[in-house]
Amino acid sequence: MQKGEMYVGWSTKEEVRKRGGSGGLVTSMLAAALEKKLVDAVVVLKKINEFEAVPIITSDVNEVLNSAGSLHSVPSHFAKLIANRNLKVALPAKGCDVRGIIEQGKRNAINLDNTFIVGLNCGGSMHPVVTREMLEVMYKIKPEDVHGEEIEKGKLIFETKDGKEHAITIDELEEKGFGRRESCRYCTIKVPNNSDIACGNWGVTGDLVGKATFVEINSEKGAKLLQNAIDAGYVQVQKPDDKGIAMRGKIKGVMEELGKKWKGKIFVPIETGRLEYFRKELEHCIDCGACKTVCPTCSCGDISKCTQYHSRGDAYKMSMYHLVRFLHLADACIGCGQCSDVCPVDIPLTRLYRRFANPVQEQLKYEPGMDMQKPPYFEVKLNE
Amino acid sequence: MSAEALATSATQTNAWEPKIIAFCCNWCSYGGADSAGMGRFQQPASARIIRVMCSGRIDPLHVFNAFLEGADAVLVTGCHIGDCHYVNGNDKTKIKYKYLENVVHELGIEKERLQLNWISASEGEKFANFIRDVTAQIKKLGPSPLKPEGVA
Repeated sequence: MQKGEMYVGWSTKEEVRKRGGSGGLVTSMLAAALEKKLVDAVVVLKKINEFEAVPIITSDVNEVLNSAGSLHSVPSHFAKLIANRNLKVALPAKGCDVRGIIEQGKRNAINLDNTFIVGLNCGGSMHPVVTREMLEVMYKIKPEDVHGEEIEKGKLIFETKDGKEHAITIDELEEKGFGRRESCRYCTIKVPNNSDIACGNWGVTGDLVGKATFVEINSEKGAKLLQNAIDAGYVQVQKPDDKGIAMRGKIKGVMEELGKKWKGKIFVPIETGRLEYFRKELEHCIDCGACKTVCPTCSCGDISKCTQYHSRGDAYKMSMYHLVRFLHLADACIGCGQCSDVCPVDIPLTRLYRRFANPVQEQLKYEPGMDMQKPPYFEVKLNE
Repeated sequence: MSAEALATSATQTNAWEPKIIAFCCNWCSYGGADSAGMGRFQQPASARIIRVMCSGRIDPLHVFNAFLEGADAVLVTGCHIGDCHYVNGNDKTKIKYKYLENVVHELGIEKERLQLNWISASEGEKFANFIRDVTAQIKKLGPSPLKPEGVA
C-alpha cells in the first residue's frame, strides 16, 4: 500500500457495521491502531444525545468501538484538544480539523509525526441550537423524538423514533436561515487530502452503498494505519471501480463549486463605511475571550499580545484585542467557524476574520493548514 | 480664549492641523529628519517623531495604538533595503507592512493614512517633502475616523 492508492473498505465486526455509518471502517481502523499499539490514544466523540457529544481521549478499545458514529450537528474541533499534550494519537478529522492540526503542528504544539489523522469527507456541519429550532419550525417534530439523521442527495433526512423519515432539501433549509453553519457553506475543502488518509461515502457504488467507505491514502502514515487494520483483522478492503472514482471526483467538484458560489455571495465587497460595519458588528463584545480560546490556529496561550495590550477601560473606537486578532488571523484563519459558534453575544466573528484573511491569503498565495509551508510572515529572505 | 471659542476660530480659519506620527529608525530616517532641520528645509509642524533603533522594531501594535490614540496618519520609515544597520531589519518591516497595509485598508481607513518610505540619513530634503506631502493629503481627508472623542 502506498500514497495515492484508493480502496473501498468496511469493518469485519458486525456490531461496528451496525452502529457506525458507511460500514464502520474509520471506527475499526482507530480501534485496530489502538490495539496493535500503533498509537497510545484515540480521540472519539462520546454521544449524549442526537445533538450533543463530547470529544474524549481514550485508550480503551471498547470505548472506541462504542463511539458515536457520524453526527452532523456536533461541530467540535479536535486540534486544540490534543495540542501541547505530546500524545501518540490517532483521530478522525473533518477538513477544518486537519487544517487546525497542521497549523498547531507548524507552531510546535503538536508533533505531526506522532499524529495519525483520519480525514473525513465533510459537506458541512450544523449548530446544535439551530438544528433544534429547525426541527420544530421546518420539520414540525420534537427534537427529543429524533432517532437518527442522514444527508442524501442534497436532502437532510431525520428519522423519528416511530420509524418515519422526514426529508427537506438543504437548499430550502438554507434559504430560511437554517441548515449548515455559515463557514461550512463557503468551505471548499470537502475531501481532506491534507490528512493522512481521506475517508468518506462518496464514490461507493452498487451493492455497497451505505455499507462501505471509500478511502484515499495521502501519506505513508495513512498506508501504515490501513495496513495495520487489515493485518489485525478489523477491516476488509477491495479496489474501487472506475465508476466510483469518477463519481467521487464529480461530487467533490460540485461541492467545491457550491462553496465558491457561497463565498461570492457572503463576501460582497463593502465600498464605503467598512469601519462602521466592523464597529457595529463588534459593539456587543463582552471581552470574554472565548473566540481566542477555541481558535485552532492560535497557540499563544494565556499571555498574548491581543489580551495584554487590551484593557476594558480603553475609550478607543475599536478594541485593541480585535485589531490584533484581525492582523494575526489575516494569514492564519482557516475559516472553521468555532469563534462564531462559541460567541455568547452572537458576533459573526468568522465572517469578520475572513474579510481580512481572504484578500491577504489570495494575494500571498498561501492557504493555511494545507501543507507544511511556513506563513509568509516568517519568511525573511536575506539575499533579495 | 475659552476652549469653545478656540474650536470655532479653528474651523473658521481652517487651521486644523493633522497629527502625524512618524516612526523613524535611529540610523537612517531619524538622521534624515535631523539633516532636514540642519539644511533648513521648510516642513509643517504636524509630525511627531518616535525614534526606534530599527524599523524592524515597529510592531503593527504600535501603529494600531497610534491610530486609536488619535493619530491622523502613521508613517513607517527606515533605511533603504540593503542598507539596514542590523542586516535585514527593514526586510522584516516590509513583510509586516504588507499585512498591516491590508488589514488597515480592509478596516476602512484610507490608504494615505498609513505610509511606508525609505529615507537615508543624507536625504533631508526627501524627509521634509514627504512630511509636507502627507500633511497636505491628510488635510484634504480630514480627521481620522478612529480618533477618540474629545481628542483634537
